[in-house]
Amino acid sequence: MATISIHGLVKRYGPVTAVDDLSFEVNPGSVTGFLGPNGAGKTTTLRMLLGLVTPDTGTATINGRRYRELPEPLHKVGAVLEASSFHPGRTARAHLRIQALAADADPSRIEDVLDLVGLSDAAGRRAGGFSLGMRQRLGLAIALLADPEVLILDEPANGLDPEGVRWLRGLLRGFAAEGGTVLVSSHMLAEVAQTIDSVVIIDHGRLVAQGAVADLIGHGSGLEEVFFQLTQEAVR
Amino acid sequence: MTAVAVPAAAGTRHRSLGWLVRIELLKLTSTRLSYGLLAASVGLTVLWTTLEASRAGKPGGPALLTGYAGQTSIITGGVWGLILAAVLGATISSGEFRHHTATFTYLATPSRGRVLAAKAAAGAIAAAVFGLAGYAVTLTIGLIFVAADGYHLAIGAGTLADWGFGHLVGAALLGVLGVVAGSLVRSQFATVIGIFVWTIIIESLIGGLFGSVRPYLPYTAATALAGTPLGSASFGPGRGVSSITPLPFAAATGLLAAIAAAGALIAARTTVRRDVT
Repeated sequence: MATISIHGLVKRYGPVTAVDDLSFEVNPGSVTGFLGPNGAGKTTTLRMLLGLVTPDTGTATINGRRYRELPEPLHKVGAVLEASSFHPGRTARAHLRIQALAADADPSRIEDVLDLVGLSDAAGRRAGGFSLGMRQRLGLAIALLADPEVLILDEPANGLDPEGVRWLRGLLRGFAAEGGTVLVSSHMLAEVAQTIDSVVIIDHGRLVAQGAVADLIGHGSGLEEVFFQLTQEAVR
Repeated sequence: MTAVAVPAAAGTRHRSLGWLVRIELLKLTSTRLSYGLLAASVGLTVLWTTLEASRAGKPGGPALLTGYAGQTSIITGGVWGLILAAVLGATISSGEFRHHTATFTYLATPSRGRVLAAKAAAGAIAAAVFGLAGYAVTLTIGLIFVAADGYHLAIGAGTLADWGFGHLVGAALLGVLGVVAGSLVRSQFATVIGIFVWTIIIESLIGGLFGSVRPYLPYTAATALAGTPLGSASFGPGRGVSSITPLPFAAATGLLAAIAAAGALIAARTTVRRDVT
């Protein structure tokens, strides 16, 4: 099973330090929430982990290897970073065919994952006509296509209806229960609290807190309260 | 790992370039844009070639279709296929950024240089189809007009075959140049507009000001590959200029390949390396 390791990660955009000496680990068999206010550096960190953004210093590895060093990256990691990254004129099934070819995945997986995310009936429709929730589901289908060990998801619940959020929760819990590693960024604290086992909280690119949710949450306080307390302390 | 887990096939450690080209061709054939561009290319070629052939022998039009010069200007003069081949190439690379699909592409193949090479190869293959389709149209219309006017074909079969091959090579190389341009600029709109402005306006201006440079301009060199005599194209820089000799086939091919290689090298070391945000 795969462990995600972030060590001393720094990324600057001109005078702005988006990620500032960030270090944490995510272990298999758990769902880890990656939380922080808007602009905290969550997406930049995930993109550095996936080799899409080059860090100024530090390392981001999966089982000790940078993403680009993984021999079969799509079989190791499934990722959804933005719900809009689909060609609007291409059908859902065509998107999956392309990704199946890219991953050398069994083509029979296409119908399996379409069924899993509830898009079987819409598989022949062009992605340009999809709602945000449907695009999220398509992204998850692509992420799951090659049966990865790690899921990295950026705000996956955006646009999902309550039933979809519940379905996503079950999916992530089931994935982790089978030994998978899940890192999921979100700003929907109430929803995340019901899904995650552990949490990494960052603000202004820096680590604010990391640990098991049960350890962070005190008697009578919820994740939301702890989050605001920690991020406000970080600002001071 | 999933509730519907099926053992996923174990692939090779690194996908071959041929495999990556297959992926790019699958992307091309899964949207309507590619077919729309091909239809536009064929439609414009039909229109322009028919207009030119109907003006043969008239003031301002091409030479009469009785002889080699007139027939050549019609059969090799409809060069929309070459321009739209470059446009197609540009959409292959810049489209990834327009639709944010570059994220999935680079997650599947983190080696961006290999992705660029695959796109260039796919662009060449698809663009060659544009070149051949354009030539099939001009050849058909040319033969129809020659036959309808009761003239004999003054061009040998070998020459006609050479021009077909030239359309294929010229369009393929312009397709690669389009991929490279799209990789450098990234903005699909700017790249496509830039291709039209360059081929129709800028090459005309440069070629008009510095006549000796004209054969070395990339679009003009591609028309030379297609067999188009300078001065015989339906439009663009080749139009109305006949006192300059176009580049020989090998030189034009080498020139276009060198420009594409240089552009690809620059793209691989600059824009292709940029963060995908």
